[in-house]
Amino acid sequence: MSAEVEEMLKHFHSMKNVAGIVVIDNDGIPIKSTLEHTLSVHYAATMQTLLEKARQVVLDLDATNELSFLRMRTLYHEIMLCPKADYFIVVIQNPSE
Amino acid sequence: MSAEIEEILKRYGNYPNVAGIIIVDAFAIPIKTTMEYTLTVHYAALAHNLLMKGSKMTQNLDASNELTALRLRTLNHEVMIVPEENFFIIVVQKPGQ
Repeated sequence: MSAEVEEMLKHFHSMKNVAGIVVIDNDGIPIKSTLEHTLSVHYAATMQTLLEKARQVVLDLDATNELSFLRMRTLYHEIMLCPKADYFIVVIQNPSE
Repeated sequence: MSAEIEEILKRYGNYPNVAGIIIVDAFAIPIKTTMEYTLTVHYAALAHNLLMKGSKMTQNLDASNELTALRLRTLNHEVMIVPEENFFIIVVQKPGQ
């Protein structure tokens, strides 16, 4: 699993405008991050809660459907959450103009 | 405000893959919809809840930041939730090929 995680980090890192990447496991602990530790833990906690809520919304509307991706656009950046089997990835991107 | 809403409906209704549009007021009551009623109310309640959580999370991470859009990609479609000043818009889209 960690080889997969490393490869993904490299892949996203090479894209322009990426402000940060956090890989968070199912316990809400950031296992890999390009941000500093306190901020990573903060993102891990808030994003995990939100991801769970979003998953439940999707399941509630249609039990056969599943959440595959979540994107939040804020004033200053775009946050992308990709849930996988054992972990989820948060990518924070600065929108280009 | 209702002229603005009509205009939004018209604008989004013209896209080919849009499966439904719901305009919901600040109290999570759907004021305009192109989908059938029970489903609309269901979407409105869940989306409102998720939007509130997402908004709170964004401000938790950075007090000056604000959520401007939320996109949920699922297996079968994509749901976009956009908060405006007095209402919010939910667009359900089938992904194009």
